This record gives sequence, C-alpha cells and structure tokens, in this order.
Amino acid sequence: MPAKYLEAEVRREAGVAVIELRGEIDGFAEEALAAAYEEAEAGNPETVLLDFEGVDYINSTGIALIVGLLAKARASKKRLVACNLSDHYVEIFNITRLSDFMGVYPNRESALEEAVVTDGNA
Amino acid sequence: MTAYGQPDLGGDRRVLREFSLPSEPGNERRVAREVEAAVESLGLSGQRMERLKTAVAEATMNAMEHGNGYSPEVPVVVEVLASGQDLSVRITDRGGSPMPVPDPEVPDLSAKLEGLQTPRGWGLFLIRNMVDEMNITGDREHHTVELIMHLEEGPKGGEDAG
Repeated sequence: MPAKYLEAEVRREAGVAVIELRGEIDGFAEEALAAAYEEAEAGNPETVLLDFEGVDYINSTGIALIVGLLAKARASKKRLVACNLSDHYVEIFNITRLSDFMGVYPNRESALEEAVVTDGNA
Repeated sequence: MTAYGQPDLGGDRRVLREFSLPSEPGNERRVAREVEAAVESLGLSGQRMERLKTAVAEATMNAMEHGNGYSPEVPVVVEVLASGQDLSVRITDRGGSPMPVPDPEVPDLSAKLEGLQTPRGWGLFLIRNMVDEMNITGDREHHTVELIMHLEEGPKGGEDAG
C-alpha cells in the first residue's frame, strides 16, 4: 500500500480556521501542514482547529510537527484545538500531554461550539 | 536465526513470521501491517493491536534511520514470536549508530513549546508507553529492539488504561 501523503485544506467556519487533514502525518507532511497553518493564520482567527477525520496515521515525527504548530499558535496568542482523533490517537495525545495544551474534541461540531463560546468571552 | 546478543528465545516460543524489508521511508507501515497479520489469531483487543502497530512502526523507523541510515540495500529484519503468555516482535538493524538508550525521563512538552528542547524525540517514549516490555540488545554489528505484549492482559491491558 503506497503512503498517503497529507492533504490539508483550510476552511473558515464560525470565525474559526479549520484545517481539514487527510492522509498521514509523518515526516512527509511537514510542508503541507506548514502551508495550511500559514493560510489558516492569515485571517487572524482566535482559534485554529485541526480536523483529523481523514487521518489514519500519525507517527512520532508527526507528533513533533503538531508540537511545532502548537508552539507557533501559542507564540501568536492563538488557540489550537483538535477534533476527530481516533481513540488510539486521543490516547497518544494524552500520554504526550498534547491534550493538556490543546483542546481535544470528539467532532467538529463540539469543537466549533466551544470555540464560539470561548471566543465570545475573550 | 543466528543469535547475536539477543535474549533467550524461551523454550515454548514459536516463530509466527520472519521477514525483512529495505530501509526506505514508509516501510515502517508495511512492517506494522505484516505484524498485524501475523498476530491476528492471538486475540489482542483492538486498542492493544493499535498500540503494538504504533510501537512496531516507531521501532522500525528508528532501525531504518539510525541503524541503517536509510540505505535501501540494508534491510531491517523482523521476527514475530509467540508463546502462551506473550508475543514478541524483534526488529534488528545493522547497528550503524550507538545503541539506542531509552531516556528514563518523560519528554518535557512545556520545554519543547518554549523552544528549550527540540520538538522531536518522541519515538522511544511512545514505544515504551505502547507495549508491556521493551528490551534493547545488540553488539557492534546489530541492534535488536524487542517489543513484548502480554497475552493475558496486564497493567496496560485494560481498554481504558493509558
């Protein structure tokens, strides 16, 4: 089975920049992920949501890329949140403590709902 | 297979599968799929199977990158063994770098976010957290990482264990 390189598409919903991810988040994903994040940040949203619904593989290099995005988001006072992770990757976000620093939601609706409430209170 | 500083096989372990693959980026997922197929009959829960596949992929990546320098002509050798009590996956490289030593400390995410540590460095940490035991053995020519999952579910065996 060939590798499924990452595809990332940016949408804007309820004032949140949503990065829809499809494929694998590994060393090959760096460029696509960085470009999508840059596009997402361009609209100066308070929240950037990573939607992992189409992602079936994240390795340790992919975790490092997500740590890098989180560092960028924190440096520019933006909130980075995640949704649609499989149970296995929720576990990995827990043991790496990523979930201590970024909200992890079961689906896009709940993530957007929380973002709207939080941004509204900001 | 010739032993080179590997741990004792144990009398009742049987070989389920033995294969090798070139050290090429992406082959770690092929190894994980081969291992999944080899242990399918052992009854691992879905969650423990996912943990095993992650550990196998990470260990294979380390072997290909640090042990074999991603030289396609240098293979990674994989053995899958099982006894009544546990299954073992042994991933062997040609030992092109110092023996990987697991850091006893948990990677410090706060330090990584502050730029005080590299964002990388999660591989061995993930492996250690995904399997019940990890052993690293080797000599000047080879390194072997052995991943063990207990078949009678132990402390990490519960569906809600972290």
